[in-house]
Amino acid sequence: MNASQSWVLVADDTVAAGLVEVARTLTTEVVAVVAGRLAVAEAVAHVVDRVVWLGEPADAPVEAFAPAVADLIAQAAPLAVIGATTPGGRALLGAVAARLQAPVLSGLGSVELADGHVVVTRSMLSGVSEHRTGVEGGTAVLAVDPRADVDTAGSPVPVEEVVAPPLRTARILDVKVKEHAGVNLDAAKVVVSVGRGLKAQADVALLESLAEAFGGELACSRPLAEGVDWIAKERYIGISGQHIAPDLYVAVGISGQLQHMVGVRDAKVIVAVNSDKDALIFAQCDYGIIGDLYQVVPALTAALRGTA
Amino acid sequence: MKIVVAYKWAPNPQDAEVRPDGTVDLSRAKSAVSEYDPVAFELARRLADATGAEVIGLTVGAAAIDTPLARKAALSRGLDRLVLVADDALAGADGTRLAAVLAAAVTAIGEVDVVLAGDSSIDVAEGQVPLTVAGQLGWLGLSRVSSVVADGEGLTVERDLPGGVTVLAVQTPVVLAATADAVVPKVAGMKDILAAAMKPVEVLALADLAVPGAQVSLTTLATARPAGGERQAVLFDAADPATAASQLVGALRQAGAL
Amino acid sequence: MDFGLTDEQELLLGSLDELLERECPESYIADLDLTHQPPTSFRKALNEAGFGSLGFPEEFGGTPCDAVTMVLLAERVCRQGLNNGFGLELLQAMDILEFGSDEQKKEILGLLAAGDVPFALGFTEPGAGSDNSAMSTTAVHYDGMVTFNGTKTLITNALQSKYLLLMAKNPEVGDKRKAISMYLVPMHAQGVTTNRLDKIMWNISDACEIFLDDVTIPESCLVGVKGNGFKQVMRNLDLERLVIAATCLGLAQCAFDDAATYAAQRVQFGQPIGNFQLIQLKLTDMAIKLENIRNFVYKTAWMLDNDVPLKSQGALCKRYSAMAAFEVADEAMQIFGGVGVTVGTRVSRLWRDLRGHRFGGGTDEIMVHIAGRQIVKDHS
Repeated sequence: MNASQSWVLVADDTVAAGLVEVARTLTTEVVAVVAGRLAVAEAVAHVVDRVVWLGEPADAPVEAFAPAVADLIAQAAPLAVIGATTPGGRALLGAVAARLQAPVLSGLGSVELADGHVVVTRSMLSGVSEHRTGVEGGTAVLAVDPRADVDTAGSPVPVEEVVAPPLRTARILDVKVKEHAGVNLDAAKVVVSVGRGLKAQADVALLESLAEAFGGELACSRPLAEGVDWIAKERYIGISGQHIAPDLYVAVGISGQLQHMVGVRDAKVIVAVNSDKDALIFAQCDYGIIGDLYQVVPALTAALRGTA
Repeated sequence: MKIVVAYKWAPNPQDAEVRPDGTVDLSRAKSAVSEYDPVAFELARRLADATGAEVIGLTVGAAAIDTPLARKAALSRGLDRLVLVADDALAGADGTRLAAVLAAAVTAIGEVDVVLAGDSSIDVAEGQVPLTVAGQLGWLGLSRVSSVVADGEGLTVERDLPGGVTVLAVQTPVVLAATADAVVPKVAGMKDILAAAMKPVEVLALADLAVPGAQVSLTTLATARPAGGERQAVLFDAADPATAASQLVGALRQAGAL
Repeated sequence: MDFGLTDEQELLLGSLDELLERECPESYIADLDLTHQPPTSFRKALNEAGFGSLGFPEEFGGTPCDAVTMVLLAERVCRQGLNNGFGLELLQAMDILEFGSDEQKKEILGLLAAGDVPFALGFTEPGAGSDNSAMSTTAVHYDGMVTFNGTKTLITNALQSKYLLLMAKNPEVGDKRKAISMYLVPMHAQGVTTNRLDKIMWNISDACEIFLDDVTIPESCLVGVKGNGFKQVMRNLDLERLVIAATCLGLAQCAFDDAATYAAQRVQFGQPIGNFQLIQLKLTDMAIKLENIRNFVYKTAWMLDNDVPLKSQGALCKRYSAMAAFEVADEAMQIFGGVGVTVGTRVSRLWRDLRGHRFGGGTDEIMVHIAGRQIVKDHS
């Protein structure tokens, strides 16, 4: 095993700063294998020591390059492989994990080197407990939030193109580009969030007013972003959505299930509004109002505006 | 055409008891078909009904996943038959190991065209295993699938990706993982529930499957309860919402949270 | 004695719970009760999931089902707060399945499959309620046709049904018990008019007067054997009483759970009222009644499934269940106090609907008549 080297798996996305950060914690040499467009490879070339590029994908999805990525990793046998917790990232990680017969570690808190071994802290079973885990016997395969675009200041290394034919079983026919909600929940100091207690889509306006009165952003639990689709998916807080740590998190009509609360565990102050006095959230908040949100939310909005 | 639906029989960690030292006791949590897997069952059934394909359920895990109730719960969701690997050697197995066993079972079933899976499991919630299965089989694996229809020689697949809805022409064999809201799954119907006990079930022995040995191992060095869960709630009764609201705002201002 | 559920029953109830959550939330029921509308969309959903063909023979596209499972499902639907939520239409359709012609069977099953109420039961008249052999609606047969004249009243679901299962008598036959026959009469037949009656309960089911004015239709509308009307109706009475009892159980459980939750939350004199002994006394006795109703209902269902002759059991079960269930709802109302009679609290609807089951499907007093007579007979 090449203990001084980590590889990052880039799946056609310049948002990869988080991957490189973790790699740099572990090893002096960081190699990026890039499946995707040349422009992505060129951007990543600014932050790593070597870039291996698998060629223009044309109409192949990035997932088609997964076996080729696995081949390269198997040959290189690095200390660690770091991929993104995105659809493309997980596909590349899956092929690598299968090739190396290595578990993929996710939900990572800290990543460090201890006695030449990769040691991580990670959240287990949707956040119900935390483990400190050491990796032995081979490459550590890590799934990490890629976080932000790589910084393209500074001089890039050359991009090495490698001929590595992708799987030829799929072609992209069309992409219907979505209007981006343009939300940055990470930056918001106050987040007002709503869950299944809300009865109708029209009522989202009530929560929008409350969020505005707080000077904060609107978010939601999973059921409102999926299925009913009342609120943009980018605003969904939970185990497979956003993880945020605002100064104030106001949860309205949210029961407080583990899978949601794990996304806001690090909030400074949590306020809950729920009509069910037995709701789980009342054991996980700093302040709470037991009542009907349809009465409490307008009252709260008025109190904040000083118009009560 | 053969469609395998890979699903999980697992408890919701919400029902777990977490000891002060961070170890988890799931003994009193009831297992069920993992929350988002019914979407995959529904997609499989629709695809099969359109193409005359066979839908085969597949799940692997510890011995306890094989009970009459567990079998019927799966078979009542539009499956033609069920394949299981239930062996305590898989208790506490990590995702790569489970993926290796799933892949070996898919190979044992033979001539499988599509493996369909759900968004993520109710307990581990990572959405990794189906893609590791794809890696193990050497097949293409695509997640975030919101639609799959048969189209001439292959499939037309739609994916709900951050950049937009992507439409692909896909040839089999392939692994597809569905989004949690790709379809609203039908409720398990009466006839299906009552007929479930009659449908064929095959239990594959782990020892008979060609599963590669694990190479990389994990050591648990420490366990702990997650931080940030202990909060002392100050509660206000909304018998008079206006009063409760102003009390809350007052308390938040005093605490410097506003 | 195994009081557990089978795997199938667990899965069925799980499926039903999902369906109830999606298709029959309290807001839906409350709205229907307010606007006096039937639960059509929920019925259709139940039907699509296969629950609508429960208990029918397979040859009619049904799924055979035991009585215990049937009452489990009826209880669960009614526990959601929906009166007569499950089972009654199915039961009534059994009359056609057992005695009807092939054409009639096909027609009724088709309606059930579409999620519709196949027919309304046309028995009660202004002068014939508990004393139904006092009915005076006539059916005169001649030349392959039959003419009906008379008035029915308090007929449930007439406005939602395509047919009326009419009981009418041959005016030339003296013996009341041999005079009455059963007919499947289309509601839109010439001469049939309805007058909706306003009432304060069972709002999701309409109640009507039905006027039959020289209604003349082909004789093929006869169901079963002429003169056997009563005999035919008797066949499924025990199952009907059982389903009514299960309905009462579900509604009462709903009222109880609401009241107990309220008692745990409502603070007066500085503590939840559930801390006070008088409230605890009510809740305890309510719980005992519910347990009694439950045991009665399931034991009766078990007897049906195991071909143990019911004798007075059906009547005893219906009488106790309806009366005790109403008592539970009444105490629930008391626990709620003023809040209980406001719109937005469902306990008053449960109370109203439960009150009706003490006379619907056979009054408390007629149950005494039936059971009492049987008890004495058994002991002589």
